[in-house]
Amino acid sequence: MRHARVERWSRGNSSIHRYHPVARILATGVLLVTIATLGPGSSTACALYFALLAGTALLASLPLLELLVSATVVLPFALCFAVISALSGDSEQAAMLLARGYLSALAALLLMATTPLPSLLAGLETLRVPRFLLLVMQFLYRYLIVLAGEAGTMRDAAKSRGGGARSIEFRQAAGTAGVLFARSFARAEAIHRAMLSRGFSGHMPASKGRPFASSDGAFLLLAAGTAIIIRVNAA
Amino acid sequence: MHIPDGFLKFPVWAAMDAVAIPVVGVVAWRAQRDFQDNRIPLMGVMGAFIFAAQMINFPVGSGTSGHLVGAALLSFTLGPAAAAIVMTAILAIQALVFQDGGVLALGANIFNMALAGVAAGYLPWLLFGGRRAGIFLGAALSLLVSAFLALAELMISGVPMPGPVLAVSVGLFLVSAVMEGAITLVVVQAIERIQPGFLRRPAASHRKILAFGALAATVFATTTAIFVSQTPDGIESVLRRAGLPAPSIGWFHSPVADYQLDSAMAPWLSRSLAGLAGLVIVYVVCLVIARMIAASRPVPRREGA
Repeated sequence: MRHARVERWSRGNSSIHRYHPVARILATGVLLVTIATLGPGSSTACALYFALLAGTALLASLPLLELLVSATVVLPFALCFAVISALSGDSEQAAMLLARGYLSALAALLLMATTPLPSLLAGLETLRVPRFLLLVMQFLYRYLIVLAGEAGTMRDAAKSRGGGARSIEFRQAAGTAGVLFARSFARAEAIHRAMLSRGFSGHMPASKGRPFASSDGAFLLLAAGTAIIIRVNAA
Repeated sequence: MHIPDGFLKFPVWAAMDAVAIPVVGVVAWRAQRDFQDNRIPLMGVMGAFIFAAQMINFPVGSGTSGHLVGAALLSFTLGPAAAAIVMTAILAIQALVFQDGGVLALGANIFNMALAGVAAGYLPWLLFGGRRAGIFLGAALSLLVSAFLALAELMISGVPMPGPVLAVSVGLFLVSAVMEGAITLVVVQAIERIQPGFLRRPAASHRKILAFGALAATVFATTTAIFVSQTPDGIESVLRRAGLPAPSIGWFHSPVADYQLDSAMAPWLSRSLAGLAGLVIVYVVCLVIARMIAASRPVPRREGA
């Protein structure tokens, strides 16, 4: 599954992985803003951004090809609008939509491939994102695979019982969703009871991350600075 | 419809982020204050449930199938505030982990689906006191409002949308809305058969007119957004087609020539900002009128209260 692969990448131990998550989050933010504001006809800038992202991925010893392929998830949507754009006679805008969409997705993917979700969320908490929302995100991410697996099992079970007659399938699917809902609800209650028994008091104990060092600042300055220089020099 | 990065213009995504971030902050703060702490795992797991439920295919004939989107279902079962937070968490995870929707466009996507989508889903449910029509209408409207808002934002950003394409997309949205309504209805019925307590049926209340006003305002503002968004693009394309040099009245004076926020955006920006402000004013006026009508009516006494 996609997020399992990203998760594996994020556990790497390169120099890029070791920088403070806040430095990587901010650098990605600057990069995204500079890419999003690229005007039409800045193909050199696009190539430079691509080189910057690919170079960082190599520094982080990530499998570059897999990463590049992974970022193409954005293309179906982008292609759809690019085709409309090209048909209405603006092929330059079409190319920019594709390029900006792909580069932004690649930048976000690179952040995720170098930052495990828990440290990303801790970094976001430092940046004053509401803790309540981050906690919900954390639970959501943790139980994603569990519940997706449960849905898959239920689908297999239904098939093995001979499900599949057209006329009843709609109701059958609704029943599956309903049972999944009830099971998820029960699971949430069980999780909460288990958490209470372990001393949960409304919020998670924050693991003390290491402080923001000067090397993190240097990385942020270098990455954000490069992005801004490329952007400013773009035609 | 998750908008990726690179499609919305700077003022659009920045404005949507500026709107969505404080609203989510306030909702999260209220949710944190009002809910018991057992709702944190519940909300997270329900978000994961929506992901998993989207894997279930609902056959709709001739080999095609649809799936649940879920904003309305969440608001029926968790209440609107919690549903908005769960949807926000879903969108954030989708944007970060799955690159489904942009990071900068997250504010726009949150506004469309987690805030407007949940409100449009919840209000009919409130209005019809949890009856079938409310469930169907809520789910359908939720999808329609989210999709129309996304379309309007893309068009404001100058993504070309010729008439036929627009017509086809609106048609597709209507079909998806009917499907979402039907799917949500049968899923809610299935949930009800398992345990009626899962649904948070709204008490018949005197706030019906208020809800109706808010709903009317939401639908009106959304449909108007589509029409408003068709105009601002015009100025830019006329300028470009005429090959006019950009007048030097940019609101953003950059020391670097040809910076993105060039002056062609100045009339464009003021036009679309005026449009947005108009929508907000219409919305507020509708709300105030509804509130006044609601206040002028004697409050019916709640049974058993």
